Amino acid sequence: MKTKEVNRSECHGRIKPDLILGMCLVVLASIFIFYLVPQYITEPQMVKNPMLSPRFLPLVTGWVVLLLSVIVLLEGIRRPPKQNSVENVHAKVPRLRWVLMLAAGLVYSLLLEELGAIASGVIATAMLFIAHGLRQVRIYLLALVFPVVVSLLFVHVLNVPLPVGMIWE
Amino acid sequence: MENFSEVLSIFLSVDNFVAIAVGVLVGVVVGAIPGLTATMAVALALPFTFSMEPVTAILLLIGIYKGGMYGGSITAILIRTPGSPASACTLLDGYPLAQQGHAKKALKTALYSSCVADVISNISLIFFAGYLAKIALNFGPPEYFWLICFSLTIIISVSGDSVVKGLIAAGLGIIVSTIGLDAVYGSQRLTFDSYNLMDRVSFVPLLIGLFAIPEIIEFYTSKVGPQIRSAVSGASLTLAECKRCLKSVIRGSLIGVIIGAIPGTGATAAAFISYSEAKRKSPNKHNFGKGEIEGVAAAEAGNNGVAGATLIPLLSLGIPGDVITAIILGAFMIHGLTPGPVLFQENLSLVYALFCGILLSSVVLLLVGNAAIRYFSLIADIPKAILLPIVLMFCVYGAYAVNNSTFDIGLMLLFGLLGFVFNRTGIVAAPFLIGFILGPMFEDNLRRTLLISKGDPSVFFRGPIAWFFIALTVASLLFAVHRYWKNRLVDVPAQ
Amino acid sequence: MKRLMVKLAGAVTFAAATAVLPVSLAAAAEWPSDTVKLIVPYSPGGTTDIISRKVADLLKDELGNVIVENRPGAGSTVGTGQLARGGRGADHSILMASPGHAIGAAIYSGLRYAPVNDFRFIRNVITIPNVMVVPADSPYNSVAEFIDGARGGELTFSSPGVGSSVHMSAELFKNLTDTNMVHVPFRGSGEALPALLGGDVDVAFENMPTVLPHIKSGKLKALAVTTTKRSPFLPDVPTVAEVGIDYGLGGYKTSAWFGLIAHKSMPDEAVSKLRDAMTKIMGRESFTSFLPQIGAEPGEEDGEVFRDFVAEEVTKWAEVAQHANIKN
Repeated sequence: MKTKEVNRSECHGRIKPDLILGMCLVVLASIFIFYLVPQYITEPQMVKNPMLSPRFLPLVTGWVVLLLSVIVLLEGIRRPPKQNSVENVHAKVPRLRWVLMLAAGLVYSLLLEELGAIASGVIATAMLFIAHGLRQVRIYLLALVFPVVVSLLFVHVLNVPLPVGMIWE
Repeated sequence: MENFSEVLSIFLSVDNFVAIAVGVLVGVVVGAIPGLTATMAVALALPFTFSMEPVTAILLLIGIYKGGMYGGSITAILIRTPGSPASACTLLDGYPLAQQGHAKKALKTALYSSCVADVISNISLIFFAGYLAKIALNFGPPEYFWLICFSLTIIISVSGDSVVKGLIAAGLGIIVSTIGLDAVYGSQRLTFDSYNLMDRVSFVPLLIGLFAIPEIIEFYTSKVGPQIRSAVSGASLTLAECKRCLKSVIRGSLIGVIIGAIPGTGATAAAFISYSEAKRKSPNKHNFGKGEIEGVAAAEAGNNGVAGATLIPLLSLGIPGDVITAIILGAFMIHGLTPGPVLFQENLSLVYALFCGILLSSVVLLLVGNAAIRYFSLIADIPKAILLPIVLMFCVYGAYAVNNSTFDIGLMLLFGLLGFVFNRTGIVAAPFLIGFILGPMFEDNLRRTLLISKGDPSVFFRGPIAWFFIALTVASLLFAVHRYWKNRLVDVPAQ
Repeated sequence: MKRLMVKLAGAVTFAAATAVLPVSLAAAAEWPSDTVKLIVPYSPGGTTDIISRKVADLLKDELGNVIVENRPGAGSTVGTGQLARGGRGADHSILMASPGHAIGAAIYSGLRYAPVNDFRFIRNVITIPNVMVVPADSPYNSVAEFIDGARGGELTFSSPGVGSSVHMSAELFKNLTDTNMVHVPFRGSGEALPALLGGDVDVAFENMPTVLPHIKSGKLKALAVTTTKRSPFLPDVPTVAEVGIDYGLGGYKTSAWFGLIAHKSMPDEAVSKLRDAMTKIMGRESFTSFLPQIGAEPGEEDGEVFRDFVAEEVTKWAEVAQHANIKN
């Protein structure tokens, strides 16, 4: 995995990432065990063997994750962090870049059916090109050509239906 | 001898050759499109085969299957978008290699080990089908249960730096896999009354989300790194490197054959078991996960060793081991053929013609794959600012196409976020995937064993196969503990 | 940045506004005036999908272009729900319904459609019987012996999943004979079959095409077929109703059926055109020769008879589901 090795002295005294991770996981696992499982997994009235219950595997896994999270938490306290959670990288990156990325994600996840595969593909791809400050006009032609060609390929050659878009009809 | 000429007369037709070539080509291309999988390609090609000769039809589908498996590895290596859960294992080392400028080397390793595994798998299909099918029939729920237990121990070896975090990831994967309708009682589990979650989380959005999307998010939230470029993406494979991988490839192929012959376990387990065995035995074990060609070779060998072998239960017993073979079974039936012992009695020449075609398909895969590498490795040279938006578009279309549902796109982006968090917190994503795939198998077989046991737990230990896998599981755990202590001893003085 | 968000918000409202507009511009002058869409509520590659694609292929000669669209999910209820919602293109959409249509209505709570009243029923196209099979070394050689055995001890049956026609057929059998068998669910027939062949489960009410080769090779014993008539593929095997009449199985009847349904707003003219087209197709050689390949027989129920058939299925499975306590 890509994790950035940072000089140990640099992160000394700062928040320990494994500590935070461990705490988050402990909280999440507890919510899972004590709220989600009882609330959203119904136990049938009569189960012959507790291992047959629909709650068995989720609960066992939940407890194991909780236990392991505690270990992560303890190790996070005990050991100086080896890796830096690259928190302040965001600050160095132009805000527009990741905002546009988020927007592209939203276009795809919320507007695909309304705009259709082609239009949302063109919009999102263009947004991502802008995000990286690409200047040449030819490249934006790609943002136009690719969604069209790929959609046509999916729909007509591969017989995979894609949304045509509701606002165009 | 007259059989022989009959076999040839069925096999030697232009249609068959065209079918294999077209099948493999289509498979490679479709498999290499992010979000489209070999399974989907085979399913979509099925209606086209209705009007063909039976052998031609089935060879076309098998060609697509094999091509698709390789195509999925191409995207796994180049853009970290696995085309099948099994090729998620390939990317563990393949993607780092491509990032270091060795895309071509990684692709070639994948191709050659795929083809070798394919040939080994086909030969076992032809010569040992009857024997392996007998073993497969001795696999009841208890035997599966122990096999899955053993497979789960590979989580330890793909956990990266922290076994604890790897196990957490696997646990989370298991929890996600329990979403949906309960397999025994049909009641809802963690579906939050959403129809979209009743059929469990589909694996394509999960797969793309977990591996491809974090790369994209990473790219847009960090400073631009230098693009590693090299002439046509690096050098090819050297003979010495081939030799180095050979052992792992053969071991992986055999693992693939055995797993493939047992219906319902699948290529993912085979690829990861092969990978973890290779890592355990390799002199370069510390380079695994950072761009080790032996890792790519082992993963691909395990993955493709399954391909020919899944046809063993299909042809000799009429039992499809996975979705793809179920579709191929459909194709047999459409043509009035029923796989099983009867097929070998009544249509032996046809079966052998099929075998000829399957053998040929490995050769065709080698040729098509080599040509494909030439063009696909160019992808590695496209600047990421242009490549990634287009990759994202493919991923979105592909995720949508699985169930024709925008819900899956949201799911894919959500898993992308999860994968991104994993990256930033030093958690490896592969155990999550293994947990997601094996979790349900573990639970299903545990419950089935309990149900058939009629209250008698001795059924868990009922025969040599069960004991064999119990021994493997225990050995694997002991080995992991042993290595953990050894590493600790090495680590402590270093600090 | 602000401008972009405003634009986005505008796009959202615009899209939302157009989405709710009822768009049914297609005049019913000459049906079909557009491409006919055959919705398959299951994944590509399954039995329903194979049958649908064959039917779509044959329908092309009668209706012009016919496309198949897979909308799998939650049994078949996602795809069916989509048809029931109607809207754009509903008058050119048909759906391949199967037992899942009736069983899904029985076991999925909060269904947003009525399985009978929200649809028009074109006709039943294909019927595939289920077969009651036991492993070759099973001590039971007839339905009567089996019931006696099941009353004496705890027997198990396999199925490809909760709510499948295979599962429900066994539950119905349990209900009528008042036996207590344990359900061992698998994921798909491919996984269920080895357990049956290996003798890990005692019985299954599997689909004909899945088990027929194994019956022929002697690895499985067929005790009975689940339809009311004997199957041409197994002429010597009695029906459950025939041999089980003394055990309360006289009314036992289940099968896997595949029939076309449409949205309730589909005009009469279109429905009759579809029925005519189906009658023509089902007489053709390319259809009749397709049937034995998948162990099937032509569906008999046409028109309103088909509607009543489905209504009967819905009540039957609702009762069985309630009895077996399968509901979510």
